[in-house]
Amino acid sequence: MVWRRSARTIRKREASTRSRRFERRLTRRTFFLPVGTVLIAVALGGVHAACNRPATDAGTPGRGRIAFVMKTLNHPFFLDMKRGAEEAANRLGLDLVVQAAERELDVEKQTQIIENLIQTGVKALCVTPSGSKEVVSVLAKATRAGIPIVIADTRVDPDAAAAANVKLGTFVGSDNYEGGRLAGEFLLQSTDGRARVAILEGIPGHETGDSRLRGFRDAVARAPGVTIVASQPANWERDQGFTVFQNMLQAHPDIDALFAANDLMALGAVEAIAATNRTGKVRVIGFDALDDARAAIEAGRMAASVAQSPRDMGRLAVESADRLIRGETVPADQTVPIVLVTKTSTEGR
Amino acid sequence: MARAPDGTSARQFGTLIGLLCLGCVLWILTPHFLTVPNLLNVLEQSAINAIVAAGMTFAIISGGIDLSVGSVLAFSGVVLASALQAGAGVPLAVTLALASAAACGLLNGLVVTRGNLPPFIATLGMMSIARGLALIWAEGRPISGFDETFRLIATARPLGVPAPVLITLLVYGVAHVALAHSVFGRSIYAIGGNEEASRLSGVPVRLHKTGAYVVCSSTSGVAAVVLTARLNSAQPTAGIMYELDAIAATVIGGTSLFGGEGTLVGALIGALIMGVLRNGLNLLNVSSFVQQLVIGVVIIGAVLIDTSLKRRR
Repeated sequence: MVWRRSARTIRKREASTRSRRFERRLTRRTFFLPVGTVLIAVALGGVHAACNRPATDAGTPGRGRIAFVMKTLNHPFFLDMKRGAEEAANRLGLDLVVQAAERELDVEKQTQIIENLIQTGVKALCVTPSGSKEVVSVLAKATRAGIPIVIADTRVDPDAAAAANVKLGTFVGSDNYEGGRLAGEFLLQSTDGRARVAILEGIPGHETGDSRLRGFRDAVARAPGVTIVASQPANWERDQGFTVFQNMLQAHPDIDALFAANDLMALGAVEAIAATNRTGKVRVIGFDALDDARAAIEAGRMAASVAQSPRDMGRLAVESADRLIRGETVPADQTVPIVLVTKTSTEGR
Repeated sequence: MARAPDGTSARQFGTLIGLLCLGCVLWILTPHFLTVPNLLNVLEQSAINAIVAAGMTFAIISGGIDLSVGSVLAFSGVVLASALQAGAGVPLAVTLALASAAACGLLNGLVVTRGNLPPFIATLGMMSIARGLALIWAEGRPISGFDETFRLIATARPLGVPAPVLITLLVYGVAHVALAHSVFGRSIYAIGGNEEASRLSGVPVRLHKTGAYVVCSSTSGVAAVVLTARLNSAQPTAGIMYELDAIAATVIGGTSLFGGEGTLVGALIGALIMGVLRNGLNLLNVSSFVQQLVIGVVIIGAVLIDTSLKRRR
């Protein structure tokens, strides 16, 4: 009996120390694991931010900070624009912050980024809107905060902007309608006005893509021999360009020309054409003249691409922002040159 | 009930400490973080994810998951926008949006409980269906431009607090009562803990499980209303990947993906941690690429705690 009781006491005592130790370990873990994780994460971010801070930060403290919020930073077009913007900012001694949402379509994230940058008290804001109408509410916040706004690449819906009392400093971009028209003219010239054409559209409802398509359609409408047999969105993406055009070729094997509203879709389509052994039989015209597209034109896999000048766009946007900060007047509409890149034009260089 | 009260509160406390530490670090790193306008800004930005995460908590506690929330958000947003543009009043349009979202949830629930499909598959299907419906209905284009009364849902600032923040609090208040103090809520814990045992003890499993999906989709409907008012536009492409953000918030907050445990407070703190992280990294000028990496690290860290705790329990 005595022995039994003592055994029970021992067991109990053991159990209680074990549970106490367990509790201690539990609380220690519950506190330090999340705290540690978060600290490490922020430290990582901090180190990265420190490494990325432009040299101008220390050099010219007085000139101030401007923000450039892009649609995305995983597209060569916007990377070129970023490069142009950085060059201009360096020259002007401005501290430039470039940010973009994870996905091009995500207007809400772009809105959040702009809200956050307004909080940091930037002197001017350059934006390539992810949505022409959606971006207006956050631009109104910038206007209320007295921050001059430069819009690049994609226009803001003028009615929505007026309704929300947004003060737009200037627009810097290509004449996309003109670009589409150039592409259409090229098609008419190179086919003698006879072609069965497919069109790959960008994300529906985007002013940029819509203007390009209007320009192209208006140009080819003059030629009775040109028929548009299919026109579908491939959402600016390379992989969707591939699949959508593959399906178009299934439905209309006689397609002999394609206008894609950007090069990524055109390059996707080029792969689809190669997969059906029709390289050279379909005249592919793209937009943006990316390096890949220029190479494809060189190799005869694409016929032409409309070159915008994203680098000039970025440069001009930052220069305009600088002039707006100084209180100078800037023209409401500034376009950067647009040219057609074809095999003959690339041979010329 | 499968919830261990002491463990859960310790876990939540840990998450809260994590949030506070994160705040302190950002306070040290940037002068722009700890200002009243910025904090209100963070709350407003976290609102949509928080609202979706509230519903997600119900689905996950019941032992399921809902991958369709982002698409349902887009769909009910499109319904809302077309109702508003057709001249319906704000109350009617909002009701229609919530009803369409709830209908998606009902369908999810029925497919899971009556069709016996795994929730992952059922809601994966709905994710595509709702997105397709949204795109078809809106013809792929955003529907924008509403009158000021509707926009007040996002722009009003009663007592200086952004309306979306108040809506979030309201959603969490109602959801908390439903989850912690109603037969429905307690049954969801029981079902998530052990479905077979719940069935044998007379819990109407199918009914309550379906209910969890209806609640989940309905909160997406609420989020759609807020988002549409905020952007003054309903996009059929809105809400892509929101399901993952909501799951992340829920999981950071300590809800177990195995079901049966979790709290709404946790989900709210989880959503705030994600909101504060994104805001802070923006203020520090960290690129969105690195933001993704950091958020990934936080999610894994939070779940590591969960599993290491469970092994000991």
